[in-house]
Amino acid sequence: MSEAILTVRGLRKSFGQHEIIRGVNLDLLADERHALIGPNGAGKSTVFHLISGDLAPSAGQIVFAGKRIDGKPPQQINRMGLARSFQVTNIFPGLTVFENVRLAVMRAHGLQYSFWSFIDRNAKVREHTESLLEQVRLQQRASAVAGEMAYSEQRSLEIALALASDPEVILLDEPMAGMSREETAYTADLIRTVTRGRALLIVEHDMEVVFQISDRISVLVYGEVIATGKPDEIRNNAAVKEAYLGEEVSR
Amino acid sequence: MRGRGGLGALGTVGVALLLALPWILSQGLLNASIQMLIAALFACAYNLLAGQAGMLSFGHAAYFGVGAFATVHAMNAFGGSGLLPTPLMPLAGALAGLIFGAIAGWFATQRTGAYFAMITLAIAELLHALAPHFKGLFGGEGGVSSTRMPSMGVTFGSTTQMYYLVLAWVLASLLALYLYTLTPLGRLTLGLRENSHRLRFLGYDVHKLSVLVFSISAMFSGIAGSLQVINNEAANYIVFDAGQSTAVVLNTYIGGARVFLGPAFGAALMTFFGYAVSDLTQSWLLYQGILFALVMMFAPSGLAGLFGMPDRLRRRFGTAAVVPFFALALASIVLLTAGTVFLVELLQRILSQDYRALAAGAPPWPPISLFGRQWSPAAAVTWLLPAAGVACGAATMLLARHKLALLEGRQEDTAAEPRAIEGERTPA
Repeated sequence: MSEAILTVRGLRKSFGQHEIIRGVNLDLLADERHALIGPNGAGKSTVFHLISGDLAPSAGQIVFAGKRIDGKPPQQINRMGLARSFQVTNIFPGLTVFENVRLAVMRAHGLQYSFWSFIDRNAKVREHTESLLEQVRLQQRASAVAGEMAYSEQRSLEIALALASDPEVILLDEPMAGMSREETAYTADLIRTVTRGRALLIVEHDMEVVFQISDRISVLVYGEVIATGKPDEIRNNAAVKEAYLGEEVSR
Repeated sequence: MRGRGGLGALGTVGVALLLALPWILSQGLLNASIQMLIAALFACAYNLLAGQAGMLSFGHAAYFGVGAFATVHAMNAFGGSGLLPTPLMPLAGALAGLIFGAIAGWFATQRTGAYFAMITLAIAELLHALAPHFKGLFGGEGGVSSTRMPSMGVTFGSTTQMYYLVLAWVLASLLALYLYTLTPLGRLTLGLRENSHRLRFLGYDVHKLSVLVFSISAMFSGIAGSLQVINNEAANYIVFDAGQSTAVVLNTYIGGARVFLGPAFGAALMTFFGYAVSDLTQSWLLYQGILFALVMMFAPSGLAGLFGMPDRLRRRFGTAAVVPFFALALASIVLLTAGTVFLVELLQRILSQDYRALAAGAPPWPPISLFGRQWSPAAAVTWLLPAAGVACGAATMLLARHKLALLEGRQEDTAAEPRAIEGERTPA
């Protein structure tokens, strides 16, 4: 197995009196698909917010590719090669789907403060945008207004936005929530394909998907990782079973 | 395709008409046109920030004013020759607007939403409060005056020459602002409005972007302020007044913030009404307020959005079907306007100090002269007539809405069937 590209050590986060994340340790290897599971309110999304720079940790370290990233602003973390999607759809609702993805693609092509060229004439950006749309099967919806699409389509768009910067590490927060069985199956395949050679950290409630695509699984309960291991190990772990009260894992 | 070709033709006709105006209009109206053009540019510059980037500034007079004062000092320093001849004078306003905008923007864009609006308001009020104390810079109560010097073989003495100077700068600036929307930064500006939080997770530095957009908006506002000073040959610190900041907000949203030329249209229209109506009524500000409230309540996309409606409806339902609706809507607007104007003018006269002095006199409540007739405040007809106008207008409006609802209902019936089939077709 390869080296860890993302290391989380003793991560803590408090909101006022309440400590939500209570010393999380986590290693994400450079080419693994790693799922973070746990009951509702365990702090999975908070861990994502802390890693991606949305929130600053109260204590602990996050090291990405040899550099400390805890407390750094999200744009800096993104540029280092870590991209994420959001549990609550976080797109540009008033713009077209094409425009949504293009905004994400532009940055990867070094365009941001540029006001001396026309974006429509940039063939590279257009082709990159179109190929991403095709990957997430939204090419037919390119001219639709993103906020007016079906929820599951917005989830696909969310994935396209996360992929646009060609990141080394991808964090996906419940990418399949609200999708049909067929869409879930397609997206699981898509995730498997696009994460080849990269690191994926995924939060997902659909256990079938989790056990199907993950190389390793970490279980977060009340702000602590109680177990990390291969899917089979997690399935048979007594502490995990207890935490879930036999609910989802054994199903 | 049709839309782009049509817009191009419309633009050409519009520019040709603007170029021909000095031959068509009187001096007074040409002067009003200059004001309209300047207000139009100011509104479009403002809309870059408010409409496109979604940052509602309540103190944009600051950048207009800074551009104005930079220009009046540049006019006095260069005298229309040397490095900055008269036709290039707006560059001074542009530069001052850009620099001051970058500084103010750096502070204001630290926050978003209501806090951003409050900071912009505070910066403008700060300037407004400080300006009278810096006599050397802002000239105190009297302001700073200058003279437009002949330059490059043109005297810039006539209104026509001034009009062309303003027109050239306004058209060039509007073109630049339009082309801006087609650049990567222009598209990111929309991203700022739609979801600045998400932009950060795509690797963009939202604060830098916001400062940049703020500065560009301030730069074009500075050009507008500059043109006003060149036209007036004077600048006074009252340009920093909150009223100026308010006017550009109202103009922008009355015109329509989501259409590129909407704010320009709103500003030109309101400036023209201000010019045409301010001699006829003392209640112009009230009418402006009523219009703004109505647009916000019933046509949030502004008048520009409203103008697109006939075409949209015609294409959906066919010309014959929508004619009765528009006839009713138009009649209703005319009735409502007539009734409201009558009431406002009547009340304004009754509440005026002159009339109250008269009313206390020997025959109480003497008749009021309005629209070429005498109206007695004691007579029922004086009040019933405008009330009837408003009531009939409201009834007609309800009828018009009913007609539209009927049309839409019929549309839905015919569309229901194919839509259901489409809904069943799940992606394979």
